[in-house]
Amino acid sequence: MRGRSFALGIAGFGIILVGWEIAGRMLGDMLLSPPSTVLSLLISILAEGRALRELVNSMGQMLLGFALACLIGMPLGTMMGRVRFIDALVHPWVSMLVVTSVAALVPIVILLLGTGVAMRVAIVFLGSVGYVLLTAYHGARGIDARLVDAARSFSIAGVALYRKVLLPALYPYLVTGARLGLIHAIRAMIMAEMFVITGYGGLIFQTGLDLSVGPLLAYLLLLMIFSTTATAILQRIGNATARWYEARQDLGD
Amino acid sequence: MNTLLHTLATIENTNPQKALRAMRASTPPTAQELTARTVWTAMSAGQMSSRAAYVASFILGLVVWEFVAGLLPHVVFASPSRVAVKLYAGVLNGEIPTAFFHSLQQFALGFAISFVIALPLGLLLGRSRIAFAMFNPVLNALLAVPSIAFVPFIMIWFGLFFEARVALVVVMSVFDMMVIIISGARNIDPTAVTVAKSFQITGLRRILTVFVPASLPFLFTALRIGVVRSVNAMITAELFFAAVNLGKIMQTASSRFDAATMLAIVFLVSLFGLLMQELVKLAEARLIPWSVRQ
Repeated sequence: MRGRSFALGIAGFGIILVGWEIAGRMLGDMLLSPPSTVLSLLISILAEGRALRELVNSMGQMLLGFALACLIGMPLGTMMGRVRFIDALVHPWVSMLVVTSVAALVPIVILLLGTGVAMRVAIVFLGSVGYVLLTAYHGARGIDARLVDAARSFSIAGVALYRKVLLPALYPYLVTGARLGLIHAIRAMIMAEMFVITGYGGLIFQTGLDLSVGPLLAYLLLLMIFSTTATAILQRIGNATARWYEARQDLGD
Repeated sequence: MNTLLHTLATIENTNPQKALRAMRASTPPTAQELTARTVWTAMSAGQMSSRAAYVASFILGLVVWEFVAGLLPHVVFASPSRVAVKLYAGVLNGEIPTAFFHSLQQFALGFAISFVIALPLGLLLGRSRIAFAMFNPVLNALLAVPSIAFVPFIMIWFGLFFEARVALVVVMSVFDMMVIIISGARNIDPTAVTVAKSFQITGLRRILTVFVPASLPFLFTALRIGVVRSVNAMITAELFFAAVNLGKIMQTASSRFDAATMLAIVFLVSLFGLLMQELVKLAEARLIPWSVRQ
């Protein structure tokens, strides 16, 4: 069954690639480059090295903002889930932030912080913190109260309660929140860079202005590979650092 | 809880069942849990009513904002009172309502198009195992690319004006809606389908009596996520393509270092997003009261 769905997946990609190839050849390089062209462009772009350097540089800055979002979002979300008062205080503003368009915040943050690294880190933070926070929040609210009660009757309280009961129960949610946040962090980073035309996002935007579809698609492909790999790695880390994470995911009936 | 479903559905789309399982593992509160929770709440908050808490949070937030803004030069960051003044003036002289009305057009058209695309494709991938195995990996790959990165591509295909803005709204909302429809359709209770089969309910009748009612809850979730994404895309498009309508107001304000007007527009758009989201929730509660959670 698993082998079959894998084969079907390959077939699916095959169909899309063939369709794209035919459409690309019919429409021409001005509108849609066929995958064969894009692939060879991707290889030459990788060989040239600039795109890769820009990507590494951009994503390094992205990680800074993302780390900040985790550092603030995870504890705050957990506290919101456990303490009703903090929830009431923070929740309306978080709901507001999550629906706010990050793109619309860019010009405002530019006024505050300029167009440099600080602005991009702030945008990544704003774009991802809501998701990290809300996932931790739902995790913390869903914690089986019986676990907490059991811990209490063994007089486990305060920090020990967090470390021994709440954190293990929360862990799957924190990992999921981090993965979700990372996707949004990458989105926000690319968006911010496209806005001020620097880094990898700037490269994408500039290529588009040159009306060269082939290289543009190659850059998008590289970004796709990076983003898929990054979230997969994060899940691996999640599985490796806590065996019960995977176990719990398979537990459901 | 639904928020978690969609957050999980967005990320866990490789395995939607996993998302639902993760949710199930935490959703149904037992009676014990409920009592424990009530006691917990009563102790920690002194049972503040949620509406009062909402208002208190809002006011406190505004006070903090006003205070922080007071510390910064007002060309950089505006206080809520200045934002309110700008908003009031802009609405009164008709500039903001006119721009907003024009912006709404690409929002409405883009949202409609993307629902019309997402609905059949989502149901197909959700109900057919073969289609799912074949095209879900492709969908995942597409989801990994930030939709904003398609902007240059859209420019080449659709130019800089209305068509491009509609295209961006579609690109930014269609995948998210599809993911939710797929995971919802995959998780339609098989018991219901089996029962319908054993009563020999077939064809159109089965669709009407089993699949439509079972699909409405996740369709509403998809609409709710899609509507927020579309509102975001509406303003994003006006900032990235030719600046018109609300985007034009923001651009002008930005060149004048007028932080208050910019914040006013962002505030307005966010409020509109929240409003649309609540409208979908309201429609859901009215039309399918059986599915609405606590």
